[in-house]
Amino acid sequence: MGLLRIRDLNVQFHDGQFHDGQKGQEAVRHLSFDAAPGEIVGIVGESGSGKSTAMQAVLGLLPDRAEIVCGGMWIGDADITPPLPGESRKDYERKMDAVRGNKIAMVFQNPQTSLNPTVKIGRQIAETIRLHSHCSRSYARKRAAELLDMAGVHDGESQMGKYPFELSGGMCQRVGIAIALSCEPELLIADEPTTALDATVQKQMLELFRRIVQETGTAVLFVSHDLGVIASLCDRVLVMHDGTLAEEGSVEDVFYNPRHVYTKTLLARAKELQKLSACRGGKKKLLEVSHVSRCFTGTGGPGRQAAAEVVRDVTFHIQKGETFGLVGESGCGKSTLARMVTGILAPTRGAVLYEGEALSVRPGKGNRRVQMVFQNPYTSLNPRMTVRDMLEEPLILNMDVTEQERREKVDSMLKLVGLDPDDAQKYPRAFSGGERQRIGIARALILEPGLLVCDEPVSALDLPIQEQILEFLEELQSSRKITCLFISHDLNVVKRISSRIGVMYAGCIVETGSTKEVYNDPWHPYTKALLSSVLVPDPVKARRKKGIPRREEQKAEALATEGCPFALRCGYALECCFTDRPKSCRFGGREVACFLYSEQYTGKRSSDYRMTSQI
Amino acid sequence: MGRYMFKRMLVGFLALFVLVTVSFFLTRIMPGSPFQSGNVSEQVLSSLEKEYGLDKPAAGQYVVYLGNLLHGDFGMSYKKPGVSVAEVIGRAWPVTAVLGFLAILLAAALGTAAGIWQAVTDKKAVKGGIFLGTMLGAGVPNFAVALLLDLLFGVKLKLLPIAGLSGAASYVLPVVSLALYPASIIARMIHHTLGDELGRGYVALARAKGLGRRRILLTHVLKNAWLPILNYIGPAAAFLLTGSFVVESIFTIPGLGREFVTSIGNRDYTLILGLTVFMGIVVIGINIITDILGAWLDPRIRRTCR
Repeated sequence: MGLLRIRDLNVQFHDGQFHDGQKGQEAVRHLSFDAAPGEIVGIVGESGSGKSTAMQAVLGLLPDRAEIVCGGMWIGDADITPPLPGESRKDYERKMDAVRGNKIAMVFQNPQTSLNPTVKIGRQIAETIRLHSHCSRSYARKRAAELLDMAGVHDGESQMGKYPFELSGGMCQRVGIAIALSCEPELLIADEPTTALDATVQKQMLELFRRIVQETGTAVLFVSHDLGVIASLCDRVLVMHDGTLAEEGSVEDVFYNPRHVYTKTLLARAKELQKLSACRGGKKKLLEVSHVSRCFTGTGGPGRQAAAEVVRDVTFHIQKGETFGLVGESGCGKSTLARMVTGILAPTRGAVLYEGEALSVRPGKGNRRVQMVFQNPYTSLNPRMTVRDMLEEPLILNMDVTEQERREKVDSMLKLVGLDPDDAQKYPRAFSGGERQRIGIARALILEPGLLVCDEPVSALDLPIQEQILEFLEELQSSRKITCLFISHDLNVVKRISSRIGVMYAGCIVETGSTKEVYNDPWHPYTKALLSSVLVPDPVKARRKKGIPRREEQKAEALATEGCPFALRCGYALECCFTDRPKSCRFGGREVACFLYSEQYTGKRSSDYRMTSQI
Repeated sequence: MGRYMFKRMLVGFLALFVLVTVSFFLTRIMPGSPFQSGNVSEQVLSSLEKEYGLDKPAAGQYVVYLGNLLHGDFGMSYKKPGVSVAEVIGRAWPVTAVLGFLAILLAAALGTAAGIWQAVTDKKAVKGGIFLGTMLGAGVPNFAVALLLDLLFGVKLKLLPIAGLSGAASYVLPVVSLALYPASIIARMIHHTLGDELGRGYVALARAKGLGRRRILLTHVLKNAWLPILNYIGPAAAFLLTGSFVVESIFTIPGLGREFVTSIGNRDYTLILGLTVFMGIVVIGINIITDILGAWLDPRIRRTCR
């Protein structure tokens, strides 16, 4: 018998106004499933498939405009069937107050916004404990410290006095998990708990979930759109599509022997992402970035902080016709580097050379040879300008063309990005996210730039849309031979599109090389850690994958150190790593900044020495 | 935080200096003289002006005034014989301050309560009623409110005194008419910010923890919803504490606002300047207090301002 049993759950949203016969939007239809104690059940599906709605319906967290009709819902022996629309919610709410946080707990997607910013985390944990167990204040605090420890926050006692904004995203999520565990719930619902986190942190989080299940025997409902996450964590999988349950089965069955068409397409799409890029670059150097650094001084606020170096002594080049992928976790300086390449920011030290000339960074005299595609297509388009205005603006500013030529150019550009020339009259709100990003790309391409800088162009988009945009960029690569600097935190995306990649950590590029070589045989310990945290949509492989030795999670304080930025987190750190900065060592097409590859570590090498991975 | 406060004070003093300078020369540019009235002869006028040093060039007068001010001396009133400016302030400000303070408290309490009620209630009638009330409160000017209240409660119902300040009951009408406008603004802001805050992730988490709606509202949401209000309440408090001429005139209250307006009519140079400087100090002081309150409520400000 299951711990949680759900029979025939239906959820419908209506927007307040009833039209005759029309009943609003059905988010979940006829959903029935069970979850056993100690079981990790993955719920997978793309956004809008109703997975989150179903989870919120279990806890009764849906807004009033949601109509829930449910054949029955039980947790253990307790009946938690939500009342039918129109019935009184009073009894249900009273019953649920004892269930929420106590029997069923929930972990939310965005850890930093789901904690109250003005309340100390210790109090946010202790509050839940005291609410359900009516213990003393001091006992609750002691228990909260224990919980933090269990969730992998070291020195919980002192961390409890901190506010959420003082912690990293991963730490905040650990606090969220500590809150969820505070009353030893029988069921833990995790709604995309790792989606907002960096790959390496995500990996640690999944390990934490696994450990919690082993230690406490709680059941977990794990909602995710990421098949890799599901494959590496879950015992059983529910595939949701369009509000219905498409397929249900053990993780092996679903991944190796999918029956439903939708599951098959999902898996095929995930496999597609594993592909390596086919594009090859030319020989000529188009862009050279040499020893570039950028400091930011704390401005405005009182108590001026010391200059923080966000990008440190970065050197790389991009060849004509190739796509150079830049990958690294959030806050490592990728976007700052992109801004320097486009000339929006001037480097504090070093130079950015485009075809041997320095880029002008004067405002108004923007460099039209380098254009940028921005991350969020919803905010980077002016909502009060039509598409035509937006596309014509750069032409008017930079090129001497007649109105007729401008019109033709805009029309042909829209055709190129797969939109209709008639769309030019419309405003951005008329377009979906994917279409908006196409407009963003069109805006960048209309000046026929020599280099296209794409700063996380797909990370704000849904998976299928990501796929479309990536395919489109690939098309551009082969048809127009564009040169591209592609920035992303998502390894799969970078791998898919770039011929060479650079791995960035804490403002430094730690490794560069051709995508294939770096992926198959990472040299730098950080690259290795990063790659080992990529989750493949294959349960057996995903479980076999081992992490590399690492020290405890640290916020990017590494920036302040004199030595190697990764030394604090590196399991292979030598003594010199903490005192000196490793120089970049070059081996054929690859460069790696690590002492393990330096002559002082490997000994004097002859010129034809073939370097292999040292770890 | 300390350094930040020091900086704020310094800027405050600078602002005060600019204020004194500008208002000093503005009063001198004004046509007329403190001693000019129908039955004063030219001779008497010039001798009076000479006695008070008004025949000297304005720049010289300015230096003398500034010197006195630095010693904390606001000077003597030109029109009220034997009364110093400090005495006028000492008499009028407590009256204004009590009224203003009560009005702010009332506005904050009333506005917050109405805003919350409007945000959480399911009853359409209550929602609409509060909306209408706050629209009226924000739209009707306070002299109209004061007169209407006076007419209704003072003249018709004879419940409350019409004018003057004698006993607690006489405070009710002026305080209410002062508080109505800021209360309406606060109610509308609270309604708005509560709507925003209630949709945030931490509210969903608090619900998932099992906290009841009332508790979420009081322990989690209200504080965050109040933060933006501080930006409004600072200037509003400054406005109320420096006295409202209109309301003070209607209720014949001997407050700062009334003194100020009459002093301008009288060309009472020292009194105008003294009151201006004093109000400047109050406004700057209130802004600093608002900053401290903000830091106290919001740890994000507190931790970054060290």
